[in-house]
Amino acid sequence: MSLKQRLVPYWLLGPGLLWLVVFFIVPMYFMGELALRSGSLTSGGFVFSWEWANFPDSLSGHGDQILRSFFYAGTATVLALLIAYPLAYAIAFRAGRFKLLLLFAVIAPFFTTYLVRTIAWKTILSDDSPIVSVLQTLTLVPQDGRVLATSGAVIAGLTYNFLPFMILPLYANLERLDLSLVEAAKDLYSSSRQAFLKVTLPLTMPGIVAGVLLTFIPAFGDYINAQLLGGTQQAMIGNVIQSLYLNQRDYPEAAALSFLMMALILAVVVLYIRFAGTGAFMGDEDEETAR
Amino acid sequence: MDTGGTRARGAVLAIASAVALVALILGLAACGDDTVGGGSSEKVTTAKGGPVSGELTISNWPGYIDPGPKGTVAEFEGKTGVSVDYIEDINSNDGFFGKLQPQLEQGESGGRSIFVVADYMAKQMYDLGYLQEIDHADLPTVFKTLAPSLESPGFDPERKFSVPWQGGMTGIWVDTSKAPEIRSVNDLFDPKYRGKVTMLEELRETPALVMLAEGVDPATASDEEWLKAIDRIKAAAESGQIRDFTGNEYTEDLTAGNIVAAIGWSGDASLIENKNAEWRMPTEGCTQWSENMVIPVGAPNTPAALAWMDFVYRPEVAVDITEYVEYISPVQGVKELLEKRGSPLAESEIVFPTEEFTSKCTGQNTPPDLERVNEAWQDVLTG
Amino acid sequence: MSAATRAWSWLRRNALPIYAALAVAYMLIPIVVIAVFSFGEAPKDKLTFGLDEGFTLEYWRTIFSLPQLNDALMTSLRLAAFSTLISTAIGTLMAIALVRHRFLGRRAANLLIVIPMATPEVVIGASLLSMFIYYSFALGFTTLLLAHVMFSISFVVVVVRSRLIGFDRNLEEAAADLGATPFATFRTVTLPLLAPGIIAAALLAFALSIDDFVISNFNSGTTVTFPLYVYGVSLRGIPVQVNALATLLFVVTALGVALVLWQQRRAERMAAVRPEPVTAPGATATT
Repeated sequence: MSLKQRLVPYWLLGPGLLWLVVFFIVPMYFMGELALRSGSLTSGGFVFSWEWANFPDSLSGHGDQILRSFFYAGTATVLALLIAYPLAYAIAFRAGRFKLLLLFAVIAPFFTTYLVRTIAWKTILSDDSPIVSVLQTLTLVPQDGRVLATSGAVIAGLTYNFLPFMILPLYANLERLDLSLVEAAKDLYSSSRQAFLKVTLPLTMPGIVAGVLLTFIPAFGDYINAQLLGGTQQAMIGNVIQSLYLNQRDYPEAAALSFLMMALILAVVVLYIRFAGTGAFMGDEDEETAR
Repeated sequence: MDTGGTRARGAVLAIASAVALVALILGLAACGDDTVGGGSSEKVTTAKGGPVSGELTISNWPGYIDPGPKGTVAEFEGKTGVSVDYIEDINSNDGFFGKLQPQLEQGESGGRSIFVVADYMAKQMYDLGYLQEIDHADLPTVFKTLAPSLESPGFDPERKFSVPWQGGMTGIWVDTSKAPEIRSVNDLFDPKYRGKVTMLEELRETPALVMLAEGVDPATASDEEWLKAIDRIKAAAESGQIRDFTGNEYTEDLTAGNIVAAIGWSGDASLIENKNAEWRMPTEGCTQWSENMVIPVGAPNTPAALAWMDFVYRPEVAVDITEYVEYISPVQGVKELLEKRGSPLAESEIVFPTEEFTSKCTGQNTPPDLERVNEAWQDVLTG
Repeated sequence: MSAATRAWSWLRRNALPIYAALAVAYMLIPIVVIAVFSFGEAPKDKLTFGLDEGFTLEYWRTIFSLPQLNDALMTSLRLAAFSTLISTAIGTLMAIALVRHRFLGRRAANLLIVIPMATPEVVIGASLLSMFIYYSFALGFTTLLLAHVMFSISFVVVVVRSRLIGFDRNLEEAAADLGATPFATFRTVTLPLLAPGIIAAALLAFALSIDDFVISNFNSGTTVTFPLYVYGVSLRGIPVQVNALATLLFVVTALGVALVLWQQRRAERMAAVRPEPVTAPGATATT
C-alpha cells in the first residue's frame, strides 16, 4: 500500500477524533483543573492552588447519594434487563411481519422529549390518579401511601427511560443468534431450559453486558427522574453535582465530584473492554468482522 | 505481517499522540484566565438614556405580568413602538444567577436588558460589577410615585441600581377542604400531614419562617439558631414529613391534590388551579420580600429598558399589573384606582397589607456566616 | 385434550408474544397519556389531571400561539438540524474508516468513540461547562451545537458501522469488474446501499439532539431549547400546547421513521444484505 493509501483512514477519522478530543477529552482535563482550585465565586473568584483536598471533601457528606445512585441505577438495570430480554427475544424470533413495527414501538418513546414523558409519568402517578388507586386496591401501595416522591417512583422512571438502551443491544445481538445451535442442543436431548441456559444465554452474553453498561452508567448519573418523581430523600449523585454547579456555584467541589465519578466509570468501562473487546459494546462479539 | 514492526509503530504512535495531547492541553491552558469568577473589574457604567425604539428583552419570574394581547406588555409596545420579548425564565434567584454568571463575568447579559431579582441577589450582582447604575433623571415617574417605604432600602440606599417591581409575602398556602386548621408553620410539622406538605428551597425563607415559629428573630439570629432551625427541617425531611422542597412547583402539587399545605408566595393565586386553596399569614408572622428590576452590564437598548421601568410606574399601568398578579405594588395610588374600579382586591390584605397585618413579619435576612449555613441548608435540600 | 389443557398449552406457546405485546403497551403508556391530555379542556390553559372538564381541540388550534414555546422549538429544530448534519457527516466517515481499513490505533479510536456513549450526561455537561467557564466563553447556541455534535458522533458511528458490516462487497466488486472507477462505484453502489444506515443514524442524532436536556441545561446560558422550556414551565403549570406539540413531534418522527424503515426493507430485498450469524467461539466466521 502506498503511503497515501495508508493515510486514508486517518483522514477519514481525523475530524471526528479531533472533535471528540477537543470537546470530550480536553474538558475532562479542565474539570480536573477546576477541581484543584479554591476560593469563592463571589469573593475573589476561584484560584488554582493544587487543592487536592477537594477530592475527598467532595465525597464526604455525599455517601448517601452515591449509595442511593448505585441502588437505584442497579435496580433499574436489573428490571430493565428482565423486561427487555424476553421482549428482544420475541422481536427477534417471534415477530415475523411485525418485527419492524415492534422495533419502532420500542424506540418510539425517544421521540417525545425525555422531560415530557417523565412529566407524563408524574401525572400518571400523582396521588389522586386512577392508576394509584388501582395499585392501592391491589395493596401494592399502602392505603394512605403514595407513589410519587418515593424511591419506587424514581426507580420506575429510570427503568422506563433507559429501557431502549437495554433493548437495542440485546436485540442486535439476539438477531444474529444462530438458532440451529439451539436446535442442535435439543437434538442432543437437552430440555428447552437447558438449551437456553447453556447455549442461548452464553452466546448472548455480550449483548447483555453491553445493554447493562449502556443502561447502568447513564442511569447512575441521572438526576431528572429523582428531581421530578422523587421527594426530599431520593436525591442521587447527579442531583448533588447539578446543585453544586448551578445552585451553589461551588465549582471546584462540583468538578471534583464529577471527575471522581468519571474516573470510576472509566475504570469499569476499560476493564470491560480489556476483557471483551470494544465490538462487544456494539452488540457484536468480534470487532474484526469487517470483510 | 511483521508483528515486531507493528508493535514498535504502535508504541511510537501512542507516544506521539500522548505528547500531542499534552501539548494541546498546555497550549489551551496558556490562553485561559488565571482566576475563574470573582467579579468583573471593569468600572461601573451608568445606563444610557435616549430615544426609545427597537427591541427589548426582559427576564422575569412567571406569573408576574399579563402577557396576553390586552396586557401590559402589549400596551407598552403599542405606546412606544418597541418590540418586547418578555421571557419568564427565572425560577429561583440562585439558579438564574448560576446560568448567567459566566456571561455577566464577561460583561455580557445574554441579550437581556432587564432582570427581576430579589434584594439580596441584586446586591450580590452589583457588588460583582454585573449591573449598571441608573440615573434618576431618566426615571421621572418612578421617583414621583414610588412608595416612601421603598425609597431607601438597606441594600441600595440611594436606589442606584435597583427599581422595585413587586413585593410579596411568604406564608402558608392551605387547601382548606383538606386541612383547614393549619395556621402556623409549626402545624406543618404535625404528623397528621405527613408527606402532604412542601417547603420552599430558599434559605432566606424556609429556615427563617421556622425560626419565627420558634420565637427567634431571623434579623438578629446567630448561626447556631439558623442551624438549629435547619436541623429541625432536616429531621422532618428525613422522616418523610416534608414531601419535597420546591421552587414554583408547589403550585402544581396544590393543583394536583398531592399536598394539603405548602410554604409559598402570597400572590401565586394565578398559578394555582384549586378553588379551595388559600394563602394564610402564619400566626407568628411571615417573611416579606421585594423583587427589583435591574439593568445588567452589556444590556442592549438601555433607553427602552429605562422607558419600560418608567412606564410600569404610571398608576394606571401599575393597577393593571396588580389586578393580574395580585402582588404588592410599589406604586402609590394603586389602591385608590382599584377602589374606583370597584375591585375586591382593594380590600385584600394580601395586596395591600396594613402595618398591623405585617407587624410580626421580617424581611429577607442573611445569616452571619452565610457560607457555612448555606452549606448545611444545601445538604438538606439534596437529601 | 380438554378445553382447559388446550387453553393452557395455547397460553404456553404464545406466552412470549403476549408478553411482548404487554411490554410494548407499557412503553407506549406515557405517549398515549400525553396525546390524550392534549385534548382535555383546562381552565387555566395549564395541564391538570383529569379529563372531566371536557374535550376540546382548542389547544391544537392554538398550538403555535405561545411565542416562547415557538422560539424554543425553533431553536431546538435549528440546533438539531445543524448537529445532525455535522455529526452524521463526521460519523459516517469514521465508520467507513473503522470497518474498511486496518490501521494503527484502531483499538484506541474505537475506545475513544465508545466511551462518550457510556458517560453520564451530567459528567459530559459539567466538564464542558468547566472548559467554557475557564475561557469565559459565552454560553449559547454555539456551545450547545459543539456539545450536541460531540455526543451524537458516537451513536452515528455505531449505527453506520453495523450497516457496513453486513454489507455484501460482492456488489462493489461486480461494479469494479464491469469497469467502474472506485469513485463511481462508491457513488452508484456503496452510497445508495449505505443510505438507509446513514439516514437511520441521522434520525438518531436528530432525536438525541431534540431530546437532550441535561447537557443543554449546563451549557445553554440563556438560550432556551424545547426541553429547557418544558423544564421551566413544568415547575409552574405546563401549557397544554406543549402536550399537543409533543404529540405532533412524535407523529411526524414516527411517520419519518416508518418511511425510512420501509425504504430499508426494499433496499435490503434488492441487495440481499443479511446480518451475519453469530457463531460459537472457536469457529471461523464465514461469508
